[in-house]
Formats: sequence, structure tokens, C-alpha cells
Amino acid sequence: MNIPVDMTLSLVLLSVLFSFGSSRLPGLIKVLAFQGVVVSIVPLIIGHDMTGGGILFTLATLTIRGIVIPLCIHFAIKKVAIRREVEPIVGYHASVLAGLGLIVAAMAVSHRFNAPSISTSVLLLPTAISLLVAGMFLLIARRNAIAMVLGYIMMENGIYLVGTTFSVRALHIVEFGILLDVLAGVMIMAVILQNIKQTFDDVDTALLRTLKE
Amino acid sequence: MVEIVFLAPFVTGVIAFFLPRNMGRPLLVFTGALHLLLSLLLWVRQPEPLFKSYFAVTPEGMLSLLVISLLFFLISIYTVAYLKVADIKSEHIFTGSMLLFLSTMTMVTLSDHIMVMWIAIEATTLASAPLIYTHRSSASLEATWKYVLICSVGIAMALLGSVLITISMDVGKVDAPVSFSALTAVATRLDPMWLKAGFAFILVGYGTKMGLAPMHTWLPDAHSEAPSPASALLSGVLLNCAYLGIFKTNKIMLAAGLGDFSGLILMGFGLTSILAAGTFILKQTEYKRLLAYSSIENMGIIAFGTGVGGLGAYGAMLCLIHHSLIKSSLFLTSGNILLGYGSRQIEKTGNLVKQMPRTFVAFFGGFVAISGLPPFGIFIGELFVILGAFKAGHYIGVTVLVVSLCAIFAGFANQAMKISFNTSEATIGLTEKASLVWPQYVLLLTSLVLCFWIPDSLYQTIMNAVTIVSGGF
Repeated sequence: MNIPVDMTLSLVLLSVLFSFGSSRLPGLIKVLAFQGVVVSIVPLIIGHDMTGGGILFTLATLTIRGIVIPLCIHFAIKKVAIRREVEPIVGYHASVLAGLGLIVAAMAVSHRFNAPSISTSVLLLPTAISLLVAGMFLLIARRNAIAMVLGYIMMENGIYLVGTTFSVRALHIVEFGILLDVLAGVMIMAVILQNIKQTFDDVDTALLRTLKE
Repeated sequence: MVEIVFLAPFVTGVIAFFLPRNMGRPLLVFTGALHLLLSLLLWVRQPEPLFKSYFAVTPEGMLSLLVISLLFFLISIYTVAYLKVADIKSEHIFTGSMLLFLSTMTMVTLSDHIMVMWIAIEATTLASAPLIYTHRSSASLEATWKYVLICSVGIAMALLGSVLITISMDVGKVDAPVSFSALTAVATRLDPMWLKAGFAFILVGYGTKMGLAPMHTWLPDAHSEAPSPASALLSGVLLNCAYLGIFKTNKIMLAAGLGDFSGLILMGFGLTSILAAGTFILKQTEYKRLLAYSSIENMGIIAFGTGVGGLGAYGAMLCLIHHSLIKSSLFLTSGNILLGYGSRQIEKTGNLVKQMPRTFVAFFGGFVAISGLPPFGIFIGELFVILGAFKAGHYIGVTVLVVSLCAIFAGFANQAMKISFNTSEATIGLTEKASLVWPQYVLLLTSLVLCFWIPDSLYQTIMNAVTIVSGGF
């Protein structure tokens, strides 16, 4: 048991529920920014990597996940005055209920795995699984293209949580490369979003269905 | 200094973004020639990389690198001629992205560290996204959006898979570098459950990028909306790069004695892809989408062959090389047809044999080659895959494969005949200059020659690449 870690991770789980319930994009972006910050400080709290390089890398992650990526999306919205609702396919109340169910299921499932490094925290694996599935859920259950990008970011947060906490062996330079890739990916998505808005005057992905058999 | 092979195009790519309109074209050809030279040097000398924990020269990587290099050089010559005729507004972005794309793909072939491999493959997605959006139409925007989102999410799965493999090291208490070569050496000590999970996620992830069904939905859109030289690169070499990730992970699985598990999944995805491609090829109305679905079919055959192992794996490697040569030639030819007729619809074309005779030769040769007819290499590759599957006793799988191949041949032949011999009143808006056709001829000829005569060093490299997979046959 590791109480500080579990408390931090429960904040991440709360952010998942909030993101499922939020109807407006600016709110959703704030939730994602908060989640980015919390997820990136988890390695510091677990405390298995307190070298200078480790701390520097954590700070870089914090800046990119918590500040730069949300700001990117924020400016993409602001610049083109995109409509602010997320256009759900699954309703908000149903989404929150599904989120609760997901967290319970993730808790139940993660007891089955036996990895020695998981035992540092009860909530670590359930949180990572929840983030992954929640990101998928946002990708599927929201028609707004920006909400889909946010879903992708949530998935990446989940993978980061699995990665940095389990594999002490991974080198910071490599982790940093992954982070840069994610950042560049989100930036390119933001550029595409602006172009979609200019071309279609909306970011409803129902408009993006002309190419098919 | 192995790293210079991908650093050189990276530098020229960045320079190309800042060059005025027409200066990028000679730079493209120059970089292509330089890259080919460096790759050949690498092939002959086999030097040590500077960062040994991240990069390595492996036989399968060398094969892919050589294919990439040759293809890019020929495509760059075609591109210069293409750019003169086609109307592309922001040419510096196009040439810059082409070069960065080359650099990232080269990095994929040389990377040995699991995470570096992931970084490089994700970077190929990012570098090629601007290429698909070159025409600035709403359709190309949609294709780019699908490409970036589906591939990024898919490749995120591969990242998760890579992380799971590091967990399998933790659980198995293995202390080795996280590289493909090191892991293959200690594979038996890795925890099998986590390794299996890792492989499944990596297959789904890189399989998305490779165009395996049912994750292939981005591929026909992206390949048909991109300008033809970019489609040729996407189809000819990008798919190979994603396959390389799967191939190397499969090697770890085989070394760990989990080959049955990985082989079964690979065969399943392979057959699904062939079936899906067949369904869409039969009723296809656009020729670039037709070629894209044919790529999905070939990737399916390659995945199936790799899953079968033995002779099948050797056949898959041959298919991989020849598919790159032939499909890129066909996509370049489709560029000529598009420039000539001004439409991607098959029914708007016709009488290619009279209207554009030199393009017709390239198109028809490519069609014969990709359909797996002798004397081209795909024939031998497919033959080995089928023989390997019979030898391993996968009778149901091989029946499905052969029946679908026949259906696909029928569908493809039907469309190819329409394009070549239907009557058409279209006026052709293109003069067939030499540099718009001979890159395709060279590609087809290379495939033809490699079918009869493989240089010893090339043969040895192919054998080295598939030794573990085939277990000697």
C-alpha cells in the first residue's frame, strides 16, 4: 500500500468521470490539462527515480502534457470559434454511469494480473486501464473532432502511466522522443482541425464521411 | 556511422522547407542519389552504428533499406517530371515532407531499440500527413484526418504492446537492453503471458499502419487522395516499415517458443485482409482505390506467409520486395493516367493502349506482375507461401487464400481491361515524356530480373532474415 500514490491516482480517476460528464469543450480541455499534470507527477510520488535526469524529465513531461498540449487545442478552438458542445452519441448521464462501471471493472480485472511492480499501488493498474478505455470511449462516443483528439490524448496518458511506472529501465532520452512524437502528433491534429473548420464550417465528424465504398 | 543514412535526408528535408519554389526539385533527386549511395555503402561495408543501444544493421532492415532507397531514387526522378505538369500549390512543403518521410522510414529500418522503433514509425505518420493533404480538397482533408487519427490511435496500441514487453522482462527478472536483438537472445526467459499480450497489441498497432483488415479503413482513402508519387511511397515502402515492426516482434515470439500463438493470429489477420480486399476490388470504381485494396491483399498474403513460417516466410519476404517494386510502379503509372484523363473514375478512362501507349506498357506490365502471373516475382513469392502452408498442413487457410486470389485476379483483370481497351472519347492532356515512364519500366524490370537471378549477397541476406522464422528448410 502506498497512500500518497493512491490518492493522486484517485484524482486521475475523478478526472475520467468529469470528462465523461462535461458537455462543453473548454471544460473538457481543462479536465485533460489537470489529468496531464497529475499523471506526470505520479513517478515523482512513487519515488523510484529521483536522479537529476529523472526530475528534469518529469518536469518536461509536466510542461508538455499539462500545459503545451492543452494550450494547443485551446488555441485551435479559439482561433476558429468552433461550436462549444461535444455532440455526444452516448448521453452524458449514461456516459458517467458507464465510467463508474468501467472503473469497477478495471479494479476487478487488474487483480488477476501478477506483476511485481504493480504491488506498489492498488490503484495503478486500474487507473491505467480506465484511462485507456475511457480514451477509446471518447473517440467512439463523441462526434466532435476535438473531443476525439482529447480522447486520443487520454489514451496516451494511460500508456504513459503504464510505461514510466513499470519500466524503470527505459531511458529518458527515449521517453522524451515518445513525448515529442505525441506532441507533434497533437499539433498536426490541431492544424487539421483548423482546416476542417475552414472547409466545412464545423467539426462534426458526420461531415467527414464522403470517402467510402 | 550508420546514423548518417537517415540524418542526411533529414537535413536536406528541413532545408527544402525554406527553399524557393523550384529549387526543391534538384534537391529531391540529389538526396535520392546520395541516399542510394549511402545505402549501398552500408550494404557492402556493414559498419557499426554510433549508438549501439538504439540502432543496428539487421538483414531484414538492410533489405527494406535497399528497397526504400532504390524506390525513392526512381520516384524522385518521376516526381520532378510530375511536378512540372501537375498543379501543386505549396511545393516546398511537398518536397520537404517527402525528404523527411524518407528520413523517418530509414530510421525505422535501422532501429533496434523497441521504443526507438515506435518513435520512428509514429514519425513516419507525422511526416507523411502533409503529403496526403497536398491537393487541399475537402476529400483529401478527410483522408488526412482519418489517416492521422486512426494511425495515431493504432500506433498508440503498439506503444502499449512495447511497454507490455518490458513488463514481461520485469516479471521474468531479465536484465537486458530493451532491443529486438537482445530480447530475441533471452526470449525464453521472458514471461510468456505478458509477452503474448505485448505481441497482440503490437500486431494490432503496427497492423493498423500496415493496412491489415479490419484496421485498414484509412488506407484506400489516403492512397487515393495523395499525389501519385506520394502514394507510391506510402504503398511501396511505408507498409513494409510497419511490417518490419511486426516481423521483429514475431522473431522474439518464435525464439520464446510461442510461434504457434503468433502464427495463428498472423494467419487470421492475413486471411481477413485478403477477403476484405477481394470484396472491395470486385466492385471498385476508382483505379487508385483499386491499387490500394490490392496493397491490402498483398499485405494479407505477407502476414499469412509470415504466420505459416518455413517456406511461407521465405515467400513472404519475396512478396514484400516484389510488391514494393511493382506497386510503386503501378501508382506512378496511375499518376500518368490521372494527369491524362483528369479523373480517378475507371469509367471516365479507356482505350489507354491507343491514347497513352507508353503508359499502357507500364500499366499492363504492372497489372500482370501484381496479379501473380509469371515471369514476375510475386508469382514465386505466392507459390512459396502456398507450398509452405500445404507443408504445414493449413489446408483450410490455403483454400481460402487460393479462392480469394482467383476472385481478386478476376476483379482486377476486369477493371484493367476496361481501362486499357474500352472505347473513350477523352482528350489526353499529357505528353508522355521519358522521365514519366522509364522509372516504372526500371521498377518492373528489376522485379523481372530478380525473379530469375538473385545476387548471392542478396540471397544470403534474405536467408539470414528468415532463418529464425523458418527454422531452416
